[in-house]
Amino acid sequence: MKAIRICLQIGILFIFSYIGTFIQNLFHLIIPGSIIGLILLFICLTLKVIPVELIEDGAGFLLGILTLLFVPMTVGIMNYPSLLSWQGLLLFGIVVVSTAITIVISGIFSQHLEKRTEKKKEASECNKSCSQHS
Amino acid sequence: MQQILFATLMILLTIISYFFMTKLYIRFNFSFLLPVLTSTILIIIILVAFQIPYERYMQGGQWINSLLGPAVVALAYPLYKQREFLRKHAVVILASVTFAGTVGMLSAALLAKVTSLGHSLSLSILPKSVTTPVAIAITDGIGGNASMAVVAVMIAGIFGSILAPILFKMAKVHSPVGRGIALGSASHALGTAKAAEYGELAFSMGSVSMSLNALLSSILAPLIVWILFN
Repeated sequence: MKAIRICLQIGILFIFSYIGTFIQNLFHLIIPGSIIGLILLFICLTLKVIPVELIEDGAGFLLGILTLLFVPMTVGIMNYPSLLSWQGLLLFGIVVVSTAITIVISGIFSQHLEKRTEKKKEASECNKSCSQHS
Repeated sequence: MQQILFATLMILLTIISYFFMTKLYIRFNFSFLLPVLTSTILIIIILVAFQIPYERYMQGGQWINSLLGPAVVALAYPLYKQREFLRKHAVVILASVTFAGTVGMLSAALLAKVTSLGHSLSLSILPKSVTTPVAIAITDGIGGNASMAVVAVMIAGIFGSILAPILFKMAKVHSPVGRGIALGSASHALGTAKAAEYGELAFSMGSVSMSLNALLSSILAPLIVWILFN
């Protein structure tokens, strides 16, 4: 029973993906259909056009196996034995180093920003309550 | 008939390798055993051993691949569940992802310049932190090689996820928001999946960052090419 529900719900997600792709082609957008579908579904959920129960199980299932879905594409690396060369090694090194730099710098940056805005909020809330008391 | 049987066999090969490698990953809890990486290696070894070309493997593989579209749509679900948090922190998220996207592309472009990686390869690795379909579109737009872009995207996704735990420890990034944003905007969907290990908040931060970064990068990439590679 649950398996059927998951399949049907994945069907709904497929429809959103197709609508997204249709919109992408219609307006010649660089943003892929699946991302447009994501935005559309988010809007529909927020406006309660689609109740969350209608996609909950299917979405949970797909997100649970998200990395499995990438495997066929990554296996495609086998078609590029030329990557086992100096240029390939260089490409690999640059991508890994640049990714590591991005993770570190953006992690520190967003954590810092988050803490600062939280402090500001606390301060302003205190100001309000303090002035009410006086 | 035989073709359907073969395709089913390839699907089973993928699923079984993945679940076996996931068991191994959970058992040893070691970041380098990331299931995408280990099951990819295992499948490539099996395909090479049986002399099955990638195109034949994809007769089955494409079915798994086709679920990527709805899976990206499904990311709306964690976003919806965290909508209150997103609304409250919209400024932090927007600023962080813009910053991360810029750092990601600039660092790749500068490293490619310094090491004098070829022109076409340099353009292909620029959108490495963007989810695959967008990365392909961006690379086509700026004149790189799409298949090399996919390779770079996979490396960024896999090795970003592998290195993230060590990097977070070193840089003292402990907040789920910081971790989610960093993983989502540096390592797209694979990083977002990794962020799920840090809880639901990190996971939804990851998916928000991934989607935002895809939008921002498609604007940013042509700009960086224009400034640095002309």
